[in-house]
Formats: sequence, structure tokens, C-alpha cells
Amino acid sequence: MSVKVQIPLPLRGPTGGLSEVEARGSNIREVIDDLVASYPDIRERLFMGDEELNRFVSIFVQGQDVRLLEGLETTVKEGDLITILPLAAGG
Amino acid sequence: MQANTDRYSRQIIFPGIGKAGQAKLGKSTVVIIGCGALGTVAAACLARAGIGRLRIVDRDFIEYHNLQRQILFDEDDVRNQIPKAVAAERHLRKANSSIEIEGIVADVNYRSIERLIAGADVILDGVDNLETRYLINDASLKHGIPWIYGAAVSSDGMTMNIIPGKTPCIRCLFPHMPASGRIPTCDTAGVVSSAPFVIGALQSVEAMKMLVGAEDVSRDLITIDVWTGAFQHLQISDAPSPDCPACQGKYEFLAARFGARTTSLCGQNAVQVVVPGDAELSFEELARRFQEIGQVSYNEFMLRFAVDGYETVLFPDGRAIVKGTNDESVAKGLYAKYVGM
Ligand SMILES: [Zn+2]
Repeated sequence: MSVKVQIPLPLRGPTGGLSEVEARGSNIREVIDDLVASYPDIRERLFMGDEELNRFVSIFVQGQDVRLLEGLETTVKEGDLITILPLAAGG
Repeated sequence: MQANTDRYSRQIIFPGIGKAGQAKLGKSTVVIIGCGALGTVAAACLARAGIGRLRIVDRDFIEYHNLQRQILFDEDDVRNQIPKAVAAERHLRKANSSIEIEGIVADVNYRSIERLIAGADVILDGVDNLETRYLINDASLKHGIPWIYGAAVSSDGMTMNIIPGKTPCIRCLFPHMPASGRIPTCDTAGVVSSAPFVIGALQSVEAMKMLVGAEDVSRDLITIDVWTGAFQHLQISDAPSPDCPACQGKYEFLAARFGARTTSLCGQNAVQVVVPGDAELSFEELARRFQEIGQVSYNEFMLRFAVDGYETVLFPDGRAIVKGTNDESVAKGLYAKYVGM
């Protein structure tokens, strides 16, 4: 399954400035794993320690918070839009 | 009174507001915390819309680089070193002399915030850092006052309403504050004025909707990119999270268990800033960013950069010493601006 992942400003360093990239997987966990495989520098910004996803990002599938679905086990469909969103500062 | 009926006639015609809504706005109090781009846009909208009492709180002075997007200030304010809160109050009085406008020059921290939001019907977020936002979140939940989060950096912005007991709060969605130095700020990533203009305008209309008792107050997290024209409504939970400490009544930021600590270093004309959590600053990355805006040098132990007339020394654990001032809020402000907190 190929999906589009929206990359927020703080994570665009590792993607070379790209704000949207393609990734593959059947659920969010696999999509994130694939993203990290393509852009290894994203790992330390998305994960605390080895496993736990950092708790300063929210993840949305097709505009819906994955917490309302199955969290990281939420399945994705071909072409889905995944949004990774940290809280923005600046005012 | 006749003048005011005429003044507000065009928004009274709008069915969502009407005469009854206008009367409610006139009896309302809004506290705007932070008066930069978001804060000036929101203050301008709300003062002109006839909010009865407007309190505008900010700790900063005006600099030339603020004029690009902070719409209530002008070159005289910079030359005369007028604090933002005072300049905002002065300019808005000329736009609407029939409402109460109170500009307060103060640092918003765990000691001052409850006094500053007292009496508010809605709190509007115009601050430039995350720490103060988590603090506003705590104070809002503790006192049952809705607040409207808004942020803008680069060409991006986002906003969300937090209604205590009804919607998720900022910690429900983002339980941890990002480590220092990991978040872009307007001072390092830049900002296109349209981004805060759109977000400040959306915050203002949501405030007005809450105050007139509209039923369709936004329950979404809204994100925009003014450069690409993208506008997203992200659907979040319709209730506070049972796992959220703040929504369960544990106000850790208000209790000052988190948040940056500043200490004036006696006799050194310097202030130390200590940030919570275990930050691991990447000097290489920070130096790249600082090169654009000031002088920077670093080794494995510390990074020095000079900007805005101050020399700041950063340590890998996120600790900083700001030289050239004894003022703790100046040091904290510099840290928030350039390192991020
Ligand atoms: Zn909460």
C-alpha cells in the first residue's frame, strides 16, 4: 500500500525539505517504519528511546486522529493521506 | 449609543451576530496573551467588533523586524521604545473609544497568569513559545475559561479551540512539550505575514462565536499553509482524554513542575535559563540556523552566539547563560525566540 505522508516543518530537515513524501505499509506503524527506513534522521525526532512514538506529535489518517481509530495499528488504504503534526510555536 | 449602533451595524445585519449577539459581545471580556502578529490581528478584530473589555498582555518591546506583520505598531513606536501592550492599547483606543482596553506589560508565568486571566470569558493565545501555551492550558482548565490556541511560523499555521470539560486540551493531543531547539520559531524559520493574519482572524471569529453562544464553534484542529493555499480540518476526539493529567485536574505547568527556570547570576550581568526535560541540543544544527541571524561559534562543550546585543552561551543539555542582562524575562524571551521552548 502506498500512501502520502505530510511532513511538518520540524521534520523537513531529514527529508531534504520535502513537505510530502510517499511511504508504504498496511498500517500506520508500518508506514512510519518505512518512512524511517527512507529518511533515517527522522527516527530520533519521532521516537523516544527504542519503541515509543514521541508524545509531542499527533498522527492523522485522512484527516482523522488515529487515537479515534486503532492508533498505530490503524490500517491504511492505497493513496491515503497521513499527517504527522507536532504542536507549532510562533505567534 | 447612536454612534455604536452605527459602528456595529454591518455585523449586526449578519444573522450569526444580530442585536442580541452584539449586546453579548459588549458585555464580554477577552484576554489576549502575547501581542505579536497573532495578538495584534486578534486585538484589532475584537476591539473593532466591540468586545466590551479587552486585556492585552505582553512582555516585549517593538523592533523593526516586528513591523512586517504586527499590524498595530509603527516606526514611531520603535523609535520611542514603546512596549507592545502599551502601543496596542494606544492604537486601538483611536479605533474604538467606546470599549475598555487595558494593555499590561508583564511576563506571563506560573505566578502571574491566574491574576492576568481573572474575569476573562475567553483567553486568546498570541504567544511565541510553547511553554506559555501549556501554562495557559493549565490555567484555562483550572478556571473553566475557554482558550483559543493559535500558532504561525513560516507559511504554516494552526488553531484549535479548547473548551474545558468539553473538548480535548492541548495536552490531550500533545502530551509532551518538544525538547528545546527542536521547534522552528519565527526568528529562525521566518514567517510570511499572511499565516498569522489568517490564524489570528480565525481565532477572533471563534472567540466571537463562543461569546455570542453560537452552536457551531469549531471542534477541529485547523491547519493552513498560506503559500500553497492548503486548508485542513483535522478531526480530533470530541471529549477530553481520560489519560490527560491536565484534564484530570493535575496542573503541572501551573504548579511550576515544568517550564523554564531563570536565575539572575549575581554580579555577572547574566541570566541562566534552565529548561525542563532532557534536551540534547545539536550544536551543528543550531549553528546552521544562527549563522543566518548573528555570530556563532561552538565546540563540543558550548555554543556561543551573539544576536540582539546579547551573547548567549548554550550547553548541550539545553541550559543557557544570557550575558548582558539581569532581566530574567529578557533572557527567557531570547531563549524562546532563538532556541525554542
Ligand atoms: Zn487534556
